[in-house]
Amino acid sequence: MAPRIQSRRVSNALLPYLTSPSSSPSVLSIPSLSSSSQYLSRQFSATAAPQTKLRRQMFEWLSTSGAVLKHHTPGQTNYLRNFLNDEGGGDRPFPSNPTFTSENILSEELRNEIYVLVVEKKKSVRAVSVQLGVDMKRIAAVVRLVELEKRQRAQGKPIALPYARSVHEMVPTTPLAQDGERQQFHEPINDLPAHPTTGPQIFYPVPESRSFTRVDAGRVFSGAPSLEREVAEKITHPSDLAEKAIENPNSIEWVGKGDNARQVLQPADVRIPHPQLVKLELDRAAHPEERREVGKRHAERMERQEKAEQERRERAAARREKSIKHVEPEGGRFDYRFSDAVFTAETTGKDGRAPWASGRRYGVPTNDRKRGVVKIPTRVEA
Amino acid sequence: MVLRIRLARFGNKHDPFYNIVVAQARSARGAKPLEVIGTFNPIPKQPTNLYNENANARAYKEIALDRSRAKYWLGVGAQPSDPVWKLLSMAGLVEKKPATYEKA
Repeated sequence: MAPRIQSRRVSNALLPYLTSPSSSPSVLSIPSLSSSSQYLSRQFSATAAPQTKLRRQMFEWLSTSGAVLKHHTPGQTNYLRNFLNDEGGGDRPFPSNPTFTSENILSEELRNEIYVLVVEKKKSVRAVSVQLGVDMKRIAAVVRLVELEKRQRAQGKPIALPYARSVHEMVPTTPLAQDGERQQFHEPINDLPAHPTTGPQIFYPVPESRSFTRVDAGRVFSGAPSLEREVAEKITHPSDLAEKAIENPNSIEWVGKGDNARQVLQPADVRIPHPQLVKLELDRAAHPEERREVGKRHAERMERQEKAEQERRERAAARREKSIKHVEPEGGRFDYRFSDAVFTAETTGKDGRAPWASGRRYGVPTNDRKRGVVKIPTRVEA
Repeated sequence: MVLRIRLARFGNKHDPFYNIVVAQARSARGAKPLEVIGTFNPIPKQPTNLYNENANARAYKEIALDRSRAKYWLGVGAQPSDPVWKLLSMAGLVEKKPATYEKA
């Protein structure tokens, strides 16, 4: 179909007003503009009047208090302020919603520093996270993205620097501390989402003479029998369990059978992203004089745990790699990855229709169009 | 009756997905097979370019295969179809089938 040719010039009365920075328009220019192009400017409106009350109010606002917002001051947010009581201008973009605050983003220097620390100085993600107060997931993302940016620069691909620069000017950022300054923490790093197991209210009578800690509470929530007296007495603080759980996650006890099998809910001291910090704080409180010794012990602990975690990760990767055969046919455009699968009664069910079986099944409707089935990818394959 | 190891198409329009199945040669493509021994996703997947080592990686196709069952069915005389022959030869279970121009 041929494109339709517009017979009439479409003009937007708002457009020149908002976009021309040189001439500073005032309310006075509006009536003249609208009277000359009255017909054109409101051609879709059914109202007979040349100006409505709301439009008049809008232009009035744009020329008075709204005029301040036309250009932003670099380094400051340019949010709509609540002009009536003039509060919450700093980090609240929506005046009617005081609970919404815009969060800081990483400044250029801070994100480059993260990359340098992790990739060039080979510090662990955990250590950098504690040092700079940035979530570990964010650190991993920053490292990947800076790597991507470096590759794009090396390939001579265009980078949207002016865009990045102006965004950084307009939103709050976390700066990198100068020499001698204390680094401002970007976000809380040890937050823990509420575990669904802790949802139901459980009335669990405990004799006053018995000690009942977070460890016991976790066991009650997951329906595990309470700990033996000898084992329970050895735990002086819930964070004692953290070290074992980090070095060997399989050591966490299981309860329930079949589909209902679940690991015993660990205390928050174990589940938080940085359980080592609890131990460090306890150690500091117990030995206030031996600062250096405490730091050394913490570093040793961290190193041991990092090593165990690294080994575990490598073992898992090797196991995964072993089960996949890579084939690169000559002259072909694609590689092929053969993974081992087992199709037996156990993996596909007796009738071969078990919902967990791999491959597509016969006589079972695909539920991909059912309500609530997530169809968009929810994770990125490496 | 000849047993064949062949592909059975699943998936929607423009979104093919195959089960590698053992079936009677004259049964319908969508009929219930004797056995499913694997899957083949013909849509190539691109490794994420977020890592430097993946920067020049080629796209790949995923195949899951039960090798022991495939060997068994080949041993009792099941005949792979041409596309399955290609896959099985890449998996190292059968010799590569010579192309027409190689035979001539």
